Amino acid sequence: MKSFVRKWMLLLAVLAAILAGCTDKSDGEGSAESDGDGKLEGELNVAVFQGGYGGEFWKQLAKNFEEEYPGTTVKVTANPDIGEMIRPKIIAGNPPDFVYLNQTDPSGVTQGLIKEHGLTDLTDVFEGNALDEDVPLKDKVLPGILESVYMSPYDDGKIYLAPYNYNVMGLWYNKTLFEKNNIETPKTWDEFFALNKTAKKHDRALFTYQGTSPGYLEEILIPAVYSLGGQEALDQMLNYDPEFWKSDVAMKALDIFDKIASKDNALMNGTVALDHTQSQTAFMQGKAMFIPNGSWFEGEMENAPREDGFEFGFLGVPTFDKEDPLLALNSIEQVYIPKGAKNPELAKEFLRFMYTEESIKLNGELAKASMAIDGASDLVKEYLTESSYNVFKAVESGMYSISGNFAPVPKGVNVNPREVLFSQAASIMNGEMTTQEWADKMYGVYKEVQEKME
Amino acid sequence: MKSKRKTGFILLCILPTLVIFAMFIVYPVTQVFYKSLFSSSGFGSSDQFVGITNFIELFSDDVFIQSIKNTGFLMLVVPVITLLLSLIFASMLSFGQLKEKHLYRTIFFFPSILSFVVIGILWAFIYHPNMGIVNEIMKVMGLDQYALTWLGNPDTVLWAIAIVMVWQAVGYYMVMYLAGMDSIPKELYEAASIDGANAIQQFVKITIPMLWEIIRITIIFSINGVLNISFVLVIVMTSGGPNNSSQVALTYMYQQGFVNANFGYAMAIAVVVFIVAIILAFISNKLTEREAL
Repeated sequence: MKSFVRKWMLLLAVLAAILAGCTDKSDGEGSAESDGDGKLEGELNVAVFQGGYGGEFWKQLAKNFEEEYPGTTVKVTANPDIGEMIRPKIIAGNPPDFVYLNQTDPSGVTQGLIKEHGLTDLTDVFEGNALDEDVPLKDKVLPGILESVYMSPYDDGKIYLAPYNYNVMGLWYNKTLFEKNNIETPKTWDEFFALNKTAKKHDRALFTYQGTSPGYLEEILIPAVYSLGGQEALDQMLNYDPEFWKSDVAMKALDIFDKIASKDNALMNGTVALDHTQSQTAFMQGKAMFIPNGSWFEGEMENAPREDGFEFGFLGVPTFDKEDPLLALNSIEQVYIPKGAKNPELAKEFLRFMYTEESIKLNGELAKASMAIDGASDLVKEYLTESSYNVFKAVESGMYSISGNFAPVPKGVNVNPREVLFSQAASIMNGEMTTQEWADKMYGVYKEVQEKME
Repeated sequence: MKSKRKTGFILLCILPTLVIFAMFIVYPVTQVFYKSLFSSSGFGSSDQFVGITNFIELFSDDVFIQSIKNTGFLMLVVPVITLLLSLIFASMLSFGQLKEKHLYRTIFFFPSILSFVVIGILWAFIYHPNMGIVNEIMKVMGLDQYALTWLGNPDTVLWAIAIVMVWQAVGYYMVMYLAGMDSIPKELYEAASIDGANAIQQFVKITIPMLWEIIRITIIFSINGVLNISFVLVIVMTSGGPNNSSQVALTYMYQQGFVNANFGYAMAIAVVVFIVAIILAFISNKLTEREAL
């Protein structure tokens, strides 16, 4: 009997080894083909996330591209789970040629590829001229974006991800309420907290946020850090310099949340337990004066109940100095070409094609969004909700919009500093933690990241 | 010689099963063990062998320890309450000889056929701090100070989730026990009543021993069920919050793997969970072992 078991274990082991051999072989394959032959023909596989923007834009863009470039075929796969669908293909060395995943894609594919250095360098696309104009493409992109860690994740001056849709985030309020009662929108944090009395008078809390997704609080924290310490402090925070958490800037910025938690009912009752839809609905029903969110707000909440006369008003984020312009945080959706794509040259041409005026308009029409290109919001004005158009306009006319994305953490780091940072917010809001403890905790996390970086 | 041929034939017959078993169970599980020794972002091309580093880091990771504690809490509390309630309900239906027996059976079973995601959303609204029915009831009863932020308070959030899990599973186990009770010969009860045993004595001395094998199975089922269901409920209802106080092992594994792109580390979590689950199943099996009647 013993020998019988042994025999079978041996067989299983051999089988496992064969199977293991199957997968290992595929590693690293495909990179040899990535040079491509530069010919603008052949087949292009485009994988796009189908979410709030739908998938129609990409399908129509593909058709237009095929017409413009005879001899090419573009196959578009649009799916809400596109990240999970392409992961095995990437592992097998057969990635799509062109990928759009949304900013908060839960599959982690984009993050993984950035960590792996698995993206094609796109610098030449942006150095070169635009397809429909005689200027370098990079001059058409909104300032600051290509240099940001969103598009240029390694600090080597090269661009690996290309900007697609553009969002602006900050605080929102009910315009009707403010206009009817002659309430002035706050310019500074002091004015903001002074409004707590007014809020009580109108039977609502001062503030609420997307409780179970505390990451939305970065729409306040990042502008606050910028307001206090400028780009220098912000870089410190986003690039994991532990000393940042010992600075006055950090303490003052974190204090905003402590004040919200400790001031007489400034935080809407129960906020910590609500998900984003629940808290946003409560805000629209007049339970709170302010909520952080992005330019997609009106579209997202199209069918949600609201108090009488509710109107979306975008305020930006208050500053600490009355002289400073109001601030806003921006986020940019990314598209990229994975390393090992079969036809990178054609994919790059497809990318250039995406930035033509015609495509920008098409995107406005079908995805109801504005690309991160100068003047794009005016090109697509008729397709945007009024509030989101106003948000883009506000940024173009004096409100300062900041790019703030945490740098990718090196491999082998098992904490996600951004996640740790914002999950502590709940403990502040519940009164179980002081800002000093919050900063100390972050100091420890940053220290850990720092050690692995060296 | 004869027996050798027989073994050969048996082997031939079970070969397909063995191959499938190896491909879909043995291979993936060994891979998980193997990959937990790597630092990996999930694309395989630059995986680094790091030995047991992942495991060492796990045990100094506060969130992981918290998540294991939470999982352990649910694995202890939920099966005990669920199985006790199911037993009580099943015996009430079985002995009471209620006319509406089938109606109750359907009603109790109903939560088990709902999708976990739906259950999560439903209960998130039931616990809603401002418009949820739980708090409304508290207010109507004049217990305003107990109208809490159930899912937003680290002291209550785990119990709140545990209650949902009990609610979801009670009907399922009740139906299993009911079926078991129906198969117990009526003569046993008749003989017992003649000897003067009351209902509770009959329940303890006849029903429980006769059901014992089913109960043993349901304990293991229930412990494993907790592992799975807690994942979906936590993702839907709290995302692990507030501040990781409702994080369970599998949600943390998911977060490390798919959000942070630390697949090696996530595999290490999976290995620990696997081992813990096996040990628990083993312990409960040993503890409930009894000589057959």
